[in-house]
Amino acid sequence: MHRAAYLAFDRFPSAKGSAVHIRHMAAELFDRYGGGLLCVLGGGELPAYQREGAVEIVRFTDVVPNLLDRAGAFSRWAADRLAPHRDTLEICHVRDPWGALPALSTGARLVYEANGLPSIELPYHWPLAAPSTLAKIRELEEHCLQEADAVVVPSRVILKAVADRGAEPDRVHLVPNGADPVPADVPRPPTAPGRYVIYVGALQPWQGVDVLLRAFARLADLTDLTLVVCSSVSPARARPLRRLAERLGVRIRWEHQLPHADVAAWLAHAELSVAPLTAGPRNLDQGCSPIKVWESMAAGTAVVASDLPVIREVLGDHGRLVPPDRPAELARAIRVLLEYPDACRDLGERARRHVEDGFTWKHARARLAGVYDRVEAH
Amino acid sequence: MTPCAVTTGFFTLGKCGQMAVAGCPACGRAVCADHLADGGLCPECAAARNRFGHPSAAAAARRRVYRQRQAQYYGDTVYYSSFDDYDRAAFEPGAAADQDYLDDGDDALVDS
Repeated sequence: MHRAAYLAFDRFPSAKGSAVHIRHMAAELFDRYGGGLLCVLGGGELPAYQREGAVEIVRFTDVVPNLLDRAGAFSRWAADRLAPHRDTLEICHVRDPWGALPALSTGARLVYEANGLPSIELPYHWPLAAPSTLAKIRELEEHCLQEADAVVVPSRVILKAVADRGAEPDRVHLVPNGADPVPADVPRPPTAPGRYVIYVGALQPWQGVDVLLRAFARLADLTDLTLVVCSSVSPARARPLRRLAERLGVRIRWEHQLPHADVAAWLAHAELSVAPLTAGPRNLDQGCSPIKVWESMAAGTAVVASDLPVIREVLGDHGRLVPPDRPAELARAIRVLLEYPDACRDLGERARRHVEDGFTWKHARARLAGVYDRVEAH
Repeated sequence: MTPCAVTTGFFTLGKCGQMAVAGCPACGRAVCADHLADGGLCPECAAARNRFGHPSAAAAARRRVYRQRQAQYYGDTVYYSSFDDYDRAAFEPGAAADQDYLDDGDDALVDS
């Protein structure tokens, strides 16, 4: 019988930033409550059931083509998984409304970790979703956020978004993402090109990788410089961007779905790391706390990123900000930083110290523990 | 020695690899003493023992029951039961944005 459960409508583990996040947040929960139940999405080679010490991992593997139906089926499935633990469950930690609904029905305390809001993110993937449908999803979010005993958000932008959805301000807690410092002597990846600029992450349109490719096309005169894209998605998913890169004649090296441990070495040996997020509703209204930026800082690599409120929160003065969606501006910033390697190194070092002083995963877990303390005290 | 073929690990997954003592009668994979579950099954088959039928059919039944139960629980018919065919049509697989752009699966809803 478990005292704690963590539910996520996400595949876990995976190469994405969300999986890194789940790993640390769930670890804090399970350490505190002596194990627990982890309900996540399965698929691929992932086993449907695992027991790791006191932690039980169950994965939703049903094939339900329609996304809304799948979300509903996940909720129902999760409710069944939680049912045997109803009497002992003290706390449920969720990341989305699909996990929050079954968690609410158990009567346990609910910690809702709002990293994203489906009513804002869904239209990117599902452009045919009608405003009335999104309004219903928003209503669902509002219900879950208002019922939660605590809401955890990774940035101030998303804090405002959840407050707009009726979450009580004194129940909303800021727990920024983090990154673990990369050892200074991490070996250079054997296949790394001479000098390279790196992008790490997924390839959704809001990431702005197309802007980066266009910027890089303007750096064609730097013949010793390569762009490395460490994509968290498969080569098939990267096809349109690969075609764009070919058309622009960019010197590029694609690395797909590298294990998380390998990405640190790629980051540490890069000249620069770029986070070219676009100025769309996903980044401006919903907000995020990009793990790629945190991890670049932890690796001591200077970051060039879009000048957005979410990025200012993370990067502050420890990186170079450029106007979003402007390839020429981005290219200029990269060129200038490459011209001044000492300033670039200094920027990276300051960023690394900033992370070490307050934004490692250990710090994030301590902040989360503080939230659990408050939830338990009420 | 036949190594145990049960997947283990929290974030980094691998095969258990300990000496197997039995084969799972359901899926045939080699299982060590630590992973042997009730009835001599591997942990996955043991967990799935009570679940059968076509997955989509099961999901449909679960959806129906769940909607009804949730609606009763909240004392109203909002939330899942309020999604009608019009709402759902936008989330059929063919209705997604450029499929190539999607993440590791179109279930990637909230990517931090």
